[in-house]
Amino acid sequence: MQQQIMSDIFSYGCISIGILFWFWGTLPLIGHRSVLFKLHGLSVADTLGSMSIILGLLLKIPSEYPLLILAIISLAIWNTVLGYVLAYCSSRGKVSHE
Amino acid sequence: MNDLYLYGITALLPLTACILVFQVNPYHALVIRGIFGAIAALVYAVLGAADVSLTEALVGTMLAITLYAVAVRSSLVMRLGVLKDDVAFSSSSSSETMAESQAVHPDSPTTFRRLLAELNNQLSQHYLRLELVPYPDQDALRQALMTKEIHATCVGCDRSEAKISERKELAEVTQDSQVDEAYYHTETRIQPLYEMMQVEGLSSVSRVTYVSVSEQEEVH
Amino acid sequence: MNIVLGMMLLALLIPIYEAWQDDDIWQKLLAFASIATKTSIMILVVAVLRDDWMIGVVGVIILSVGNAALMLLAQLIKRMNDAATNYE
Repeated sequence: MQQQIMSDIFSYGCISIGILFWFWGTLPLIGHRSVLFKLHGLSVADTLGSMSIILGLLLKIPSEYPLLILAIISLAIWNTVLGYVLAYCSSRGKVSHE
Repeated sequence: MNDLYLYGITALLPLTACILVFQVNPYHALVIRGIFGAIAALVYAVLGAADVSLTEALVGTMLAITLYAVAVRSSLVMRLGVLKDDVAFSSSSSSETMAESQAVHPDSPTTFRRLLAELNNQLSQHYLRLELVPYPDQDALRQALMTKEIHATCVGCDRSEAKISERKELAEVTQDSQVDEAYYHTETRIQPLYEMMQVEGLSSVSRVTYVSVSEQEEVH
Repeated sequence: MNIVLGMMLLALLIPIYEAWQDDDIWQKLLAFASIATKTSIMILVVAVLRDDWMIGVVGVIILSVGNAALMLLAQLIKRMNDAATNYE
């Protein structure tokens, strides 16, 4: 019983931290900052926040662990690559424009 | 009551569909189509149709966007036939002076460059792209326009080096765009393009005429 | 869990609003990237919530494959922007 409550607290804590990260990274999207600034916040928030949410789910329901671990791995790899590609494309466009 | 979030998620679908419908720029519409595809996949998965969701994500979003992007890119283009000498002249003169001249006054480079910038500006308002197609001489240019290889041609009326500098000096002294008038001659065979090019900035650099090629087509 | 999904829905509305009101294509693409990740995480949450393996597998596939289209689109828009700025 004690263990059950502890793991519930941990999992909900992880999920709320992840959602907080999401809001922290997504809110700067509104406003007139540069693309690279927004990209930085967004990649941090989307990768770390989503990983934290999935970790919370993993603690909550451990029976689906292969799926969730696969999700964490693909999230870590793809979001990093995507962030790099987006930064490369958008900054090249900006440099030749100015 | 337990499935309250379902209503919220489902309401996103008509919302993004409306945003997608009201887009004017085709490239923006492509990006919004991707957002719409992601939301649609979410709605289908939440409603329990995993196969539909997977198909929407893979075919509806990935394949459709890629194909549409290729289609939009290759169809929204204006092919402008020019002489080889003009292209070489504009690129060689611009490479060394572009940095300073654009910093001081952006529209003082050579007339041909100004014409291209003006044309590109006008075309981009209609989401068109400008593509230069170089040809060796006037006859080849004429032939290409008649066989509908290109949409328009652009040739200088007199391309001797002395005339160019003389005209430029004259234009700077008198501050009058009338000197430049009819310096370049642009011909197009498409009526909407002709109407598009009837603007102040463009007509001061070039004379624009419309040619009909329909009777030539009957001969073939 | 209802509250969690409600908060995620709110977070998802921010990039949708951004994609609607911003005219710069790169900002729209950024919003698209954000939405693509967020929707697949939401699919995963719903799958775990219902203990449904089928939806979960779909969520992971969308998460890992959906980004490829985004990169293709980014490369293409970059090419187009380069072509457009050649004449300015």
